[in-house]
Amino acid sequence: MRLQTRAGISQQYWEVPEMDLIAPLLTGYGIWAPFAWMVAFIAVLIIVYLIWKTGESSYRKGTELERPYLSGNVEPDKGAVHIRASNMYWGFLQALKGYYDFIVPVHTGVLTDYMIWFVAVTALLLVIVGVLV
Amino acid sequence: MKLTKSFNRSLWVFHLNTGSCNGCEIEIVATITPRYDPERFGMRLVGSPKHADVLLVTGPVTKKMAAKVRRVYEQVPDPKLVMCIGTCGQSGGVFYDSYNLDGPIDQVLPVDVYVPGCPPRPEAIIFGVVKALEKLERLEAAQ
Repeated sequence: MRLQTRAGISQQYWEVPEMDLIAPLLTGYGIWAPFAWMVAFIAVLIIVYLIWKTGESSYRKGTELERPYLSGNVEPDKGAVHIRASNMYWGFLQALKGYYDFIVPVHTGVLTDYMIWFVAVTALLLVIVGVLV
Repeated sequence: MKLTKSFNRSLWVFHLNTGSCNGCEIEIVATITPRYDPERFGMRLVGSPKHADVLLVTGPVTKKMAAKVRRVYEQVPDPKLVMCIGTCGQSGGVFYDSYNLDGPIDQVLPVDVYVPGCPPRPEAIIFGVVKALEKLERLEAAQ
């Protein structure tokens, strides 16, 4: 079926065939062939199985074979050897060192401290607004 | 120990120093030079026990190294061989009565081939590898 678009470009459309699970589907933009894909998938599975069968069956899970070789040393916890996230913004912290030196001790984690800061800053703002207005 | 057909064609060797004086290490390095060239037989030193077929152990096994030796042995996949290079690994050598030994090596690991000498010459090390191959052939024949 050929349709004329507004831009005057002629485009070809195909009728959608009746639903068939196995038959190839030609859409005009490509082809979908479930049977061919299924055969290819099974062939790949067989190849993977054959490669897997040639592997060493004496490999023991949950033993030292699974752990990395670190010159015979015990593997430390991941958190102890990996680069921590804070290393990523080390330069940022270093550039704003003066700011953080002030702000970090202020963050005590105590709720009453935060409430005092809140009340004090609000009172200061009210005073400033009152004076200016 | 089940042997695959390809096992004895190209033995990959991982060397582990358990407290050696480095005399044996010098001879091992001499063994892999072009003068002797064991790589023509497919034998080469590898950097990880996970890639190795043979664990080449030197030194008398100090107390600090005993657990590490066992761990590295466990990390070598089966089938595997253990070769002991040098007198220290066999008897403790000059360190035989030291307070600091858990060895010799056969007190820690099952050893397949011993190469005596202090240190053994490269010819002796290659002869030890030949003995290891003979043992593998016997094991294959027995399967």
